[in-house]
Amino acid sequence: MTAHTPRILTDAETSLIEAYAAAGNTSAERDAAIAKLKDDGLPTRRVEAFHYTDLRALLKAGYTVAARPSDDLAKTVGAKFPRLVTGASVQHFRDGHFFDFGEDVPKGATVTAELPTAKLLEGDADATALINTAFAQDGLTLSIDEGAEIEQTIGLAYAHTGTANTIAAQRFAINAAANSKSTIVYRAVGLEDVQYLSSSVVDLDIAEGATVTLTMSIEEGNLAQRLARLNVSLGKEAVLNLFILNVGGKLVRQEVNFDVVGENSELNISGVNLIGGEAHIDVTSRITHHVPNTVANETFRNVATGRGRGVFQGQINVRQAAQLTDARMACNTLLLSDNCDFSAKPELEIFADDVQCAHGATVTDLEESYMFYLMARGISETNARRMLIKAFVAEIVEEIEDEGLVEALEARIDTWMEKHV
Amino acid sequence: MLEIKNLHVRIEEDGTEIIKGLNLSVAAGEVAAIMGPNGSGKSTLSYVLSGKEDYEVTEGSITYNGQDLLELDVAERAAAGVFLAFQYPVEIPGVPTMTFLKEAMNAQRKERGEDELTTPDFIKRVRAAAGDLKIDFNMLKRPVNVGFSGGEKKRAEILQMSLLEPKLCILDETDSGLDIDALKIVSDGVNHLRDPNRAVIVITHYQRLLDHIVPDTVHVLSDGKIVKSGDKTLAHELEEKGYADIIAAAA
Repeated sequence: MTAHTPRILTDAETSLIEAYAAAGNTSAERDAAIAKLKDDGLPTRRVEAFHYTDLRALLKAGYTVAARPSDDLAKTVGAKFPRLVTGASVQHFRDGHFFDFGEDVPKGATVTAELPTAKLLEGDADATALINTAFAQDGLTLSIDEGAEIEQTIGLAYAHTGTANTIAAQRFAINAAANSKSTIVYRAVGLEDVQYLSSSVVDLDIAEGATVTLTMSIEEGNLAQRLARLNVSLGKEAVLNLFILNVGGKLVRQEVNFDVVGENSELNISGVNLIGGEAHIDVTSRITHHVPNTVANETFRNVATGRGRGVFQGQINVRQAAQLTDARMACNTLLLSDNCDFSAKPELEIFADDVQCAHGATVTDLEESYMFYLMARGISETNARRMLIKAFVAEIVEEIEDEGLVEALEARIDTWMEKHV
Repeated sequence: MLEIKNLHVRIEEDGTEIIKGLNLSVAAGEVAAIMGPNGSGKSTLSYVLSGKEDYEVTEGSITYNGQDLLELDVAERAAAGVFLAFQYPVEIPGVPTMTFLKEAMNAQRKERGEDELTTPDFIKRVRAAAGDLKIDFNMLKRPVNVGFSGGEKKRAEILQMSLLEPKLCILDETDSGLDIDALKIVSDGVNHLRDPNRAVIVITHYQRLLDHIVPDTVHVLSDGKIVKSGDKTLAHELEEKGYADIIAAAA
């Protein structure tokens, strides 16, 4: 006979449970999520998927669910963050709540401002997903009509308005119907020097023959804690071009899960993680090839400095049926200070016998001979460093087709460098 | 303009002494050639003048326009007008040549308290200078030196030199890897920059370059010291007799 000792909850766990009870926004699904969180606890480094991001140690206590801010505040905070794409049609969220600012949705797209159902796959409900399921305040579903080719960029923008120690959680579903083409920019911003918890889940379903170009610019405030996930289902002959910029946050856990379920589909994933100050930024990626003849390319460029800690976990699963999979993954990192670190972990699980899978990781400092050359022309050490860092990440950013968006993202990178390099 | 006194330099990493009591003085308006066999310390001298790390000055001084050059970092020296034309210019992927040129020109202008160049003014200057050196303007749309041939890299160095208008130019074996035509273009570029207010140090193995860039003084560097100085005829003497005889005679 063994005595069952109940695990003692940590402050962060207790505070999540209390915040949930206090908010009073309950449902069977939410109850189940919070009960599972209570049972499992927040993951520690013993959970393989959280090996480098010990949530039990890192997640702060004392959060309460954010109230809906006033329309005025919602607008003033938004104005502090100029748009990345001029002429985009943007849907706005503040502190987890939807705000209809009356922007026209382009023809061929529909927005339903209701919280989409949480897709909790059996055994796949980690803390990131559970917290979102329990706390999501608002959300929306963006549907792209069959065959629609939408030129105008559609934006999903979230801002935290600055009430300290609040939880802001939202969930988006994006359904790109067959043979549609769309360009979407997802953006998360928050104010500096305010601690808050940001939770975000995006479920993206790309149907047969559809192409989605998705750019995620994650610019949380310097004290923000962010737990987020992107789930993608990629259909037959579908294409996803995904770019992720991480340029803020104290703790960022960004999970990206891809289920490649249609043949002859193509997944292009790239991203830039800028990790400075005290930031801990974790991008955990899992690509599962379920069917034959699919292509996936994944490249992340990381710049770590100060006391920043970066993590990239890249899992590629090739199921037995997925013959002729062509999957490539690269993770290149610049380590610029003595006190920063970066952990890169590739995980390949291949059950098909006729596939090509490649992965590579590099870690370097700036090339000394380049520094000498630039400085020998009068460019200061700081500016020379910035030029070389920019060159390192620009190669990835400049693959984005929209030149205006490239410029806007590079301006964000410049701002980061002015602060951290 | 430049006064080097009893300079001793060693490689920081392993302590090997390369420059062993070098004395040299170069006046404004002067073109000084430094010749010497392999391993005599020619390239080390150019690196020490431009401020490359990895070298440690253990003794002696370098005074440039009354200023202690050794006090300045690489960028400060460049801003003060010291220019090194590299023997092997590096390729820097991802840094567009035009961005680099503009950044360099403006950094130096800022240092001198001048306004930044406007984009049209900048482009105009680059076009003119590139034309003089027969550099295809489209080449400058590439990243710094990436995909340039050996000759193109050397011409690009001279292009930078003419745009930055330095006071002290150091040409480190600029003739290596150049065919006759390119040698002529590069030499014309350098001659064009000869000016009563500018000094040029030409470091070379061969007398050939000195037919095109005619020096006022020639110095023979051997085992980290200047062992013989003279006018341009010394270069011809070296070409005829080889280094061994001259060095032996000087020792």
